[in-house]
Amino acid sequence: MKHYIARRVGYSLLSLLLLSLTIFLFVRVTGDPASLLVEPGASPQDIENVHRQLGLDQPLWVQYWQFIASLAQGDLGQSFYYRTPVLDLYFQRLPNSLLLAAVAMAFSLLIGIPSGIIAAVRVGRMWDSAGKIFALLGLSLPSFWVGLVLILVFTVWLGWLPSSGSGTALHVLMPAFALGWYFAAAHMRLTRSSMLEVLGSEYVKLARLKGLPEALVIGKHAFKNALIPVITLAGINLVVMINVAVVVEMVFAWPGIGRLLYEGISFRDFPVVQGVVVIGGAMIILVNLAIDIVYALIDPRIRLAG
Amino acid sequence: MSVTTHPTAVPAPAPIAFWRLKGFPLIPVLILLLIALVAIFADVLAPYDPEIGSLARRFRPPAWQEGGSMAHLLGTDHVGRDVLSRLMYGARVSMIVGLAAVLFAGVLGTFLGIVSGYLGGWVDQVIMRLTDTWLALPGLTFAIFLAAIVGPSELNIIFILGGVYWTRYARVIRSEVLSLKEREFVNLAIVAGCSRRAIMWHHILPNVINSAVVLATLMLGIVIVTEAALSFLGVGVPPPRPAWGLMLADGKKGLMVGYWWLTVLPGLCIMLMVLSANLLGDWLRVKLDPQLRQL
Amino acid sequence: MGSPGRSHRRLPQAPDRKTSIQEAALLPISRRQALALGGAALLAGSAGDARAASPQGQLTWAVHVSLAPTWFDPAETPGMITPFMLLYALHDAMVKPMPGQTAAPCLADAWKMAPDGLSYEFTVRKDVTFHNGEPVTAEDVKFSFERYRGTSASVMKERVAAVETPDARTVRFVLKKPWPDFLTFYSSATGAGWIVPKKYIQQVGEEGFKKAPIGAGPYKFVSFTPGVELVFEAFEGYWRKLPSVKRLVLKVIPEESTRLAALKRGEVDIAYSIRGELAEELQRTPGFTLKPVVIQGTFWLYFPEQWDPKSPWHDLRVREAAALAMDYKSINEALTLGYSRVANSIIPDSFEFFWKPPPAVYDPRQAKALLAAAGFRNGFDAGDYYCDASYANLAEAVLNNLQEVGIRVKLRPLERAAFFSAYAEKKLKNIIQAASGAFGNAATRLDAFVMKGGTYAYGHYDDLEALFAEQAVELDQKKRTELLHKIQRLVHERVIYAPIWQLAFINGQGKRVRESALGLIEGHAYSAPYEDVTINTG
Repeated sequence: MKHYIARRVGYSLLSLLLLSLTIFLFVRVTGDPASLLVEPGASPQDIENVHRQLGLDQPLWVQYWQFIASLAQGDLGQSFYYRTPVLDLYFQRLPNSLLLAAVAMAFSLLIGIPSGIIAAVRVGRMWDSAGKIFALLGLSLPSFWVGLVLILVFTVWLGWLPSSGSGTALHVLMPAFALGWYFAAAHMRLTRSSMLEVLGSEYVKLARLKGLPEALVIGKHAFKNALIPVITLAGINLVVMINVAVVVEMVFAWPGIGRLLYEGISFRDFPVVQGVVVIGGAMIILVNLAIDIVYALIDPRIRLAG
Repeated sequence: MSVTTHPTAVPAPAPIAFWRLKGFPLIPVLILLLIALVAIFADVLAPYDPEIGSLARRFRPPAWQEGGSMAHLLGTDHVGRDVLSRLMYGARVSMIVGLAAVLFAGVLGTFLGIVSGYLGGWVDQVIMRLTDTWLALPGLTFAIFLAAIVGPSELNIIFILGGVYWTRYARVIRSEVLSLKEREFVNLAIVAGCSRRAIMWHHILPNVINSAVVLATLMLGIVIVTEAALSFLGVGVPPPRPAWGLMLADGKKGLMVGYWWLTVLPGLCIMLMVLSANLLGDWLRVKLDPQLRQL
Repeated sequence: MGSPGRSHRRLPQAPDRKTSIQEAALLPISRRQALALGGAALLAGSAGDARAASPQGQLTWAVHVSLAPTWFDPAETPGMITPFMLLYALHDAMVKPMPGQTAAPCLADAWKMAPDGLSYEFTVRKDVTFHNGEPVTAEDVKFSFERYRGTSASVMKERVAAVETPDARTVRFVLKKPWPDFLTFYSSATGAGWIVPKKYIQQVGEEGFKKAPIGAGPYKFVSFTPGVELVFEAFEGYWRKLPSVKRLVLKVIPEESTRLAALKRGEVDIAYSIRGELAEELQRTPGFTLKPVVIQGTFWLYFPEQWDPKSPWHDLRVREAAALAMDYKSINEALTLGYSRVANSIIPDSFEFFWKPPPAVYDPRQAKALLAAAGFRNGFDAGDYYCDASYANLAEAVLNNLQEVGIRVKLRPLERAAFFSAYAEKKLKNIIQAASGAFGNAATRLDAFVMKGGTYAYGHYDDLEALFAEQAVELDQKKRTELLHKIQRLVHERVIYAPIWQLAFINGQGKRVRESALGLIEGHAYSAPYEDVTINTG
């Protein structure tokens, strides 16, 4: 077991290193930040000057080594654009991203779980389809469009909610819904299949045999057990949400990590892109690692296969 | 073909008469067929060239609205192009981009998944580490980078989207292959002296193809919505090509101004297509492959 | 849409500017009086007058770009216009563009050039202080110049031999040889003339200055969240006049539609960059005003293959056809509501040495005739049309026009950074749609875009090179102007470029704003000077 965990941790570190190299190279082949930090038409000396200031006049391998060396010390460098340590920027944005993801997850589960249960229990064809379609709609509509429609209705027409930014509880509602809706379908699907599995189990059959009312069987016994995998998925998706909220954050000017990353890409702010991607990647790799280890603890056969 | 040439193979699941099955999603399938027909016959059906307009005719509303005319049944866009024609050609572009990207991702992912799962060892290690790395990179970020490197064109968008989403196939297919490997018929094939390539090709592949197909129907929607998001960020299918995602992104400003047809119509098209593909996919998933229920 | 009733929309009128110039000249005195009277008014118990004497209320801007802290520091000024959005609030310059004047005396109240052209002497304005109460002295001016490391820093430092400070209010820039453009560079093309407090920076260090910048401008720094929000508060000791608004808040909202929604709901008072149909909508909505400003950003088509004899673009007639094919007026009306200026030059008309070319003509028939004469009776496939993706809407309109005369192209919008890299590395082909908002004068623009070795010049013409070399050493301003005019005329006649327009940057203004200060300074895209901004109290 110890051996297995050590191996998994080793793989994870390897993945992370690979990720850092990939992003390091990718960000560098896509363009020169100097061409954006000075206006087109600026003199070549100006551009050279910017290169020197940003350390881009060094050979690639030196730059990579510096990146990795400081990464190992927990330093992600300074943003080219903001001239602020990337880590500071990241932690400034993280609470906003967490809040957005948490509320979005609440919306997502609020839509996904009931529609999943209804689909599993087959309350009636119409309800079944209605729930399913509502959950799937979130997957079918690009979130920027959903976001703009929300702004149009709730800000421009009704004047109820602030268009953008953050600060109050009202600010988070629209972006969270636009983000959460997209994930609702996944939670619906899992709730449904997990419910079906539990409903078919001996344990529920027994409860039914005992003559318990159907509502109680479904609501209490089945639901509780069916929820476990859904919660696991929700946990994973929470991490995913933090990293994919770019579009929603752009529409609502939500000061989260997604926007930090997107702007980093647009400005060719290498340290920001590298930093955000590596931290985000580390989170995902860590979650995967945790899942692998937990599964291995539960089911020893996996250890041989992995 | 595997059945006749390789007697040791367990037959792949027999073809099913889908439409006779209970709960067959008839309406979604009809919608998809309709979209496909429009895409194929766009040349014949569309009243105008989708890429050419005139600024003098911009923002004409649909025919039934005040100021609209029968000349442009669904109105015109910000450069004066006919929206109906763009939607029709857009069906073609979106269909081609969506299907090709899914196919590209599917072929690459399935291939790597089978190789990785069946061969195991260092090959498996390399492919899985690569997959992990890829998965840890936010898809949209990666797509923006690729777009910046190769420049936007329909072909490049196909490779970009395929290049982002192959990992899902690789993971799912690999785990299926791992369990197939333990099955009796594979062992029999080995005993019968089949080469590793023959086993992967004739015995493993037919048994994972169902999952790949189910995954493809579900991925289609994701790919098309992602394509729209890329257009929103300015790195999607390049204008003036008619693509639904691009139309939606282009028309987003009109939403605040009352030019609803510029966003609602392409939005509706995307929604219908993605929703139909998902409903079909959900049904296939339950019917064909219980293992995939957690997708 | 192409409604005919466009004529009532005009660019900001000159009379506005005159009044603000008068204000600028008069107010330092009237402010002092106001302060003196303020006490008296309080004694007299007239609360109304007392309130008028101190800054009140808050105005909020929706900003389209992500604000960077480097823009707090004049020393970092890149050669682009955006940072001046913040510099005008936080800092002040010796000489800077102000309403009606490209070089207005600010922290310097006088200057003169030595007769031999080898030195410039500035007098620092009396009784001017930084936000922390320290006086602005000649030492600060020298320090700021030496600390400057932004755009053209090397050019300036190469040519300035020494900065002398004979007394606390006198600064002398000694040049190595006469440099006719010195004042242009010092006052508007760079940030070298913007003054930072020497003592404070030495005290808190560079890091400390970045976190809590102090300047001599009309507004003090309060707080900054990178990429999110910036807050300023009025500096009551500002020399020119007492700012009228107490707090300025700049909020970053990247999405244009969202900026409009925020403006409509009253969350912000001024929204930057509202274009096309969104601007039309704002114009229709009662209570909101459009504030277009023609900036010094010119747009054009460039034909990088004009030096290749095998390319169709080698033929002057083909390039002329492309220029004639563009329906300038309709494009302008559709995208910028007719506010952009079709000036037919790649050089902004506000630049020194600008030569006014004949107006741009839209004549598709003539364009077709020229193409036919060049041997393309049925038009031709012209290949790719590259542009910065953020201006793809302009490209789509131009593309339509080119198509109409038979120049068939495929649009290749590239993401901004990728576009500029490829452009500068000379990797683009066929047609390039580009723009520049760089500071300078006609000579600096020509240098970058037309002359051999220019960052964005894909080829050159020998006679133009000779003329350009000649003007670079010409000390006689008049002769130099003639030479530069001649070059510009040749650039025009050879259709090296097909200029599109000088962009109007369109902003929206809400009900609470009386004076947004937008368009007060020629060519400046943003609100400035901020001390002129006022709230509608009525």
